[in-house]
Amino acid sequence: MTVVLLLKKNTSMQLTKFHYDNAIVRNFGVATIFWGIVGMSVGLLAAVQLVWPFMNFELQYSTFGRIRPLHTNAVIFAFVGNAFFMGAYYSLQRLLKARMYSDFLSRVHFWGWQLIILAAAITLPLGLTTSHEYAELEWPIDVGLTIIWVAFGINMFGTIIKRRERHMYVAIWFYIATFITIAVLHIVNSVQLPVSMWKSYYLYAGVQDALVQWWYGHNAVAFFLTTPYLGMMYYFLPKMANRPIYSYKLSILHFWSLIFIYIWAGPHHLLYTALPGWVQSLGVAFSIMLIAPSWGGMINGLLTLRGGWDKVRTEPTLKFMVVALTCYGMATFEGPMLSLKQVNAIAHFTDWIVAHVHVGALGWNGFMTFAILYWLIPRIYKTELYSKKLASTHFWIGTLGILFYAIPMYWAAVVQGLMWREFTPEGVLQNPNFLATTLQIIPMHMLRAIGGAFYLSGALLMVYNLVRTMQQGKLQANEPAEAPELTPVVVNEREPHRRLERKPILFLVLALITILIGGMVQMMPTFMISSNVPTISSVQPYTALEIQGRDLYIREGCVNCHTQTVRPFRSETVRYGEYSKAGEYVYDHPFLWGSKRTGPDLHRIGGKYPHKWHFDHMLDPTITSPGSIMPPYPWLLVQPLDASSTKAKLNAMRILGVPYTDEDINYAEANLQQQADAIAADLSEQGVEIRSDREIIALIAYLQRLGTDISKAPVETATNE
Amino acid sequence: MFKQITDLSGNEWYLIASLWIFLLFFITVGIRIFRMRKADAEYLKGIPMDDGEQHDEESLN
Repeated sequence: MTVVLLLKKNTSMQLTKFHYDNAIVRNFGVATIFWGIVGMSVGLLAAVQLVWPFMNFELQYSTFGRIRPLHTNAVIFAFVGNAFFMGAYYSLQRLLKARMYSDFLSRVHFWGWQLIILAAAITLPLGLTTSHEYAELEWPIDVGLTIIWVAFGINMFGTIIKRRERHMYVAIWFYIATFITIAVLHIVNSVQLPVSMWKSYYLYAGVQDALVQWWYGHNAVAFFLTTPYLGMMYYFLPKMANRPIYSYKLSILHFWSLIFIYIWAGPHHLLYTALPGWVQSLGVAFSIMLIAPSWGGMINGLLTLRGGWDKVRTEPTLKFMVVALTCYGMATFEGPMLSLKQVNAIAHFTDWIVAHVHVGALGWNGFMTFAILYWLIPRIYKTELYSKKLASTHFWIGTLGILFYAIPMYWAAVVQGLMWREFTPEGVLQNPNFLATTLQIIPMHMLRAIGGAFYLSGALLMVYNLVRTMQQGKLQANEPAEAPELTPVVVNEREPHRRLERKPILFLVLALITILIGGMVQMMPTFMISSNVPTISSVQPYTALEIQGRDLYIREGCVNCHTQTVRPFRSETVRYGEYSKAGEYVYDHPFLWGSKRTGPDLHRIGGKYPHKWHFDHMLDPTITSPGSIMPPYPWLLVQPLDASSTKAKLNAMRILGVPYTDEDINYAEANLQQQADAIAADLSEQGVEIRSDREIIALIAYLQRLGTDISKAPVETATNE
Repeated sequence: MFKQITDLSGNEWYLIASLWIFLLFFITVGIRIFRMRKADAEYLKGIPMDDGEQHDEESLN
């Protein structure tokens, strides 16, 4: 038994009076509502464009490839992010019985976060993107985000240190894990070499970049969409149900197992790709294990309502919480199932993944956010909710919205996944034209958009309800509270976890170690052992024009609809060509494998069609592919290519390890012009007159290069030896 | 499934070590949770119910 110095609550002492800061909670709450509506509206616009592409209003700034990342960033970092801060600032103060450490830092955090969101809302439609999913923001915004995140961390830990409650409740553990893990993920996944103010290249290339990105991408879901919400669930659900959490012991096991296991599961996003097989297998194994802690948390939440289910009938907040927990359970069962290779082979790249993500986002994150807003706003405004009936109506419209969204997407996924793989009895593809599989699922996409409209309508009802609630009450910006101060005393404490619960820094370090293990085991061998990424001698760096074309591909967000990784299935090698090898991507900063096939894979598109086909296709996709839902890109035909950045880009690539010679860099612009002239001349022969300095020329150069190097490799001839 | 680990060129210790960390960690946590006193757990789970606010008599929502 260890003798330690404790901060003991002395109940015989006089109570200290202080105030909770409700103004910052209100501010984050209003931001949650505002950005939620914006993010959902952009999502609905994107969904509509997948049926009627002209709904981009023929503007490059509102085209699917650019607004899809705007939608994901808005709902993840603006809607969910602000909701987490709202819930954390409210619950932290009350769980620690202390006002936030610094009102100044609270304001810096709030306004800094909104500024970052605004920067994202401006830069993403402009096409300023890194292309890493959920990490698209360019490096200056990444730096700003880091500073604001640190301000939040200082404010949170400052509050923990000056607390009047000896032990940190389980909600705070989840907040701590969120803080430290997001910091690690963001830093590691944002190591970029700036080329200019709004352009950078990732340090990692190809397979390694893919591993880092999906380690980040998966754990952004884990530690931005899951752990902070679990923390809020552990605080707000007992408050709403007016009964303590079902099992505190289960919450300890839930916390440690969840943060340990989650971090390993990222590679399940890269099954059947060129990622080393052993990393894929580890990802699958840990994904299956993840069911246990996830369901442990869900069960702990649902059992908290034992004996109180009658309240679910009358309290809209509890209705939202029950569906949120149910969706969490469904999504966390579905995720491991999708990571099974046999299931993944059919479901990956289809709408199943979109449905899976939205069951989590709309159900778990959205519904819990609505529940907390309905519960919290009346409390800080010292009034009652304007209309419970409207809130219940919101609940039913929202639930219908989720169903209308998810079910057609599952249906579309099965239809398209099977159509991609279908062969005739003669052994040829039943649907050799990819477009045939896309057109088949258009009705499902229409239903999905209707589901989204339902969900958004419900959220608008909530806005009205909460505005009326605010109008009928008055914000208690500084809420009076009281608690005895903690005084240092020496006591024996037998239980180790109880000791840990009052040591925030030690807790932080242990959580950090726990989340680092999985990432290190997967990344270090992949980065350090050369046999994991075998090189191919015929694979050469991109030319200057191709690099510029690649950056246009990134700017237009082509990666949102097209993959660049052919999996080793007969149905894919027959449709696209030879399956993709790790060595083909060694100069790809960043990797552009994608995660969804709204259109076909492009890794073997090079040389498949003449230049004119690509020209026509970008001018109007329905010229080459009647019925296509890809939007036209007419601006590429009129906008001149900014070739002034070419040398800087090649130089940056050389610093990152791409073997460009001095000659390549010194003559970059001349080489670029020479290749562009050749493409323009070829187009001219086909009857297309276009200047060689237009953006379309660079994009054609890049597309025509894709996946062609492997065909130049020497063919190994079988011998009898 | 783990046959694919063999191409690690002698670096299998990464995986073996992580497996041992995994087992030791959860066995330790499991034992500690099993031995945790009920009174301690009851105290901790009650923390959110006492938020220190000076409530009015009227109930809210």
